[in-house]
Amino acid sequence: MSIVMKKNVPILIVALTALLFLLEFFVFPELKDVITMLQNWGIILTAFTLGFGAVNMFMYHGKQVSRRTKNQWPFSLWLLIVLVIFTVTGVFMGATSTQYSWLYNSSYFALSATVYSSLGFYMTSGIYRALRAKNAESALLLVVGIIVLARNAPALAASMPILIQLDSWLSAVPTTSAQRGIMIGAALGALALGIKTMIGKETGFLGRLTEGEKGGS
Amino acid sequence: MAAQPKTIWDRLEDIPREILYGLLLITIILPMIYPIGFPVPISAEVQRWYNTIDALPAGSVVMIDFGYSGGGEPELAPMAVAVYHHLFKKGDIKVVTMSTSIEGPLLWEKAMLELNPAQYGKQYGVDYIHIGYIANVEAAMAAVGKSISATTTTDYKGTPLSQYSIMEGVDNAADFALLICYTTGGDQSEGWVRQWYTTYQTPYLSCVLAMMVPTMLPYQKAGQIVSVTSGAQAGQMELLVEVPGRGIKSADVITMTHLLCIAFVVVGNIAYFGKKFSGGKK
Repeated sequence: MSIVMKKNVPILIVALTALLFLLEFFVFPELKDVITMLQNWGIILTAFTLGFGAVNMFMYHGKQVSRRTKNQWPFSLWLLIVLVIFTVTGVFMGATSTQYSWLYNSSYFALSATVYSSLGFYMTSGIYRALRAKNAESALLLVVGIIVLARNAPALAASMPILIQLDSWLSAVPTTSAQRGIMIGAALGALALGIKTMIGKETGFLGRLTEGEKGGS
Repeated sequence: MAAQPKTIWDRLEDIPREILYGLLLITIILPMIYPIGFPVPISAEVQRWYNTIDALPAGSVVMIDFGYSGGGEPELAPMAVAVYHHLFKKGDIKVVTMSTSIEGPLLWEKAMLELNPAQYGKQYGVDYIHIGYIANVEAAMAAVGKSISATTTTDYKGTPLSQYSIMEGVDNAADFALLICYTTGGDQSEGWVRQWYTTYQTPYLSCVLAMMVPTMLPYQKAGQIVSVTSGAQAGQMELLVEVPGRGIKSADVITMTHLLCIAFVVVGNIAYFGKKFSGGKK
């Protein structure tokens, strides 16, 4: 593929699209219909990539099974079986059918809730081992951790209203200040990345390019 | 050389995780079987959330994003159900729901089964509706804000939206008096600020996982979100709405497990300093 098709055309498409969005927001609101159409394209493309992802998974895990990859193929096979069951049920009976809901509720939903809930056990063990007053910094972390833990226990907060005041101050002042700093920093970074992408200086979204292609025009 | 016998401080400083997990499990199960009924104070955020909905004028239309995944359901669904109770109890409020999470429509159906809108005389398509999962998080929010009919033509079951009376005169962000988002993802909770509050100034209530609250506080402090709550506060909402459910049942568990964590921290520190002062640690 020529460098024009591989690099220049995609960059031009991105730059023009981004420019259209900026113009609509700041200068020409009458471009609303064009923007709506572009956003709908984005939605359709994202929905398409979900299906594309499923096909890709099928191909990848199909290879693992056919090659009998050690310590992997039984899991790949199981994944393919589940993928087929969910797809067939969803396509032929509907994604809102009783059968599909039953499948989802009794397998994926239960499993994902269980995995997420198990974090509570790891966090309890982590709190016990990490919150030790070994030096000034960790002592500060310990004090703040205890206040937040106690505040989030409804019965303790009800019997000691000072916990609510302390937690409110911690949330409103140190936490919000630090979080704002992180967010503003990230936003400035995103802005810089956006400008670099628009002018073709950032080519990460184009996939793997050779050093010559990155620098070439 | 023979290994030195472990002292009491050594043992307390390094309690096996099996014991920690076992005690935590007991602390979770016991209050569920034998509820204690600890008091539950109403936080300022939950009260503000409640007041915002309570102040909605008759005829208002509310947009809800059921944007959480299955893993977050136990935490977020009780809050979502309690808020639906409040909206439906108020009477003439229409509720349009969409999902920025692919699991959203299925989890919304679960919530509706728990809620039973018919008890308030509410009908699907007349008083409430789900317009389905719309892919590409922020693009979906922006597109729906501009025009629902240009973004999707059917509800989550595939029935044309034109067949539902609730959608008459409802097409873009300007038609909504309030936006509510329940989510397990930062993209969703922050995306609504960017795509709806910033563009249309739609009042926005956000309910996220407890660990996500600190990341959302700057938006609340700046007035871009009216109130940020966590799903763990569902018990408070249920008390305000006077419909006790899963949230209030879990309040005892939350208190007990947090107390256990504090006890673990205290034991760990006593052991640490005990060992240090008995000469076992430099």
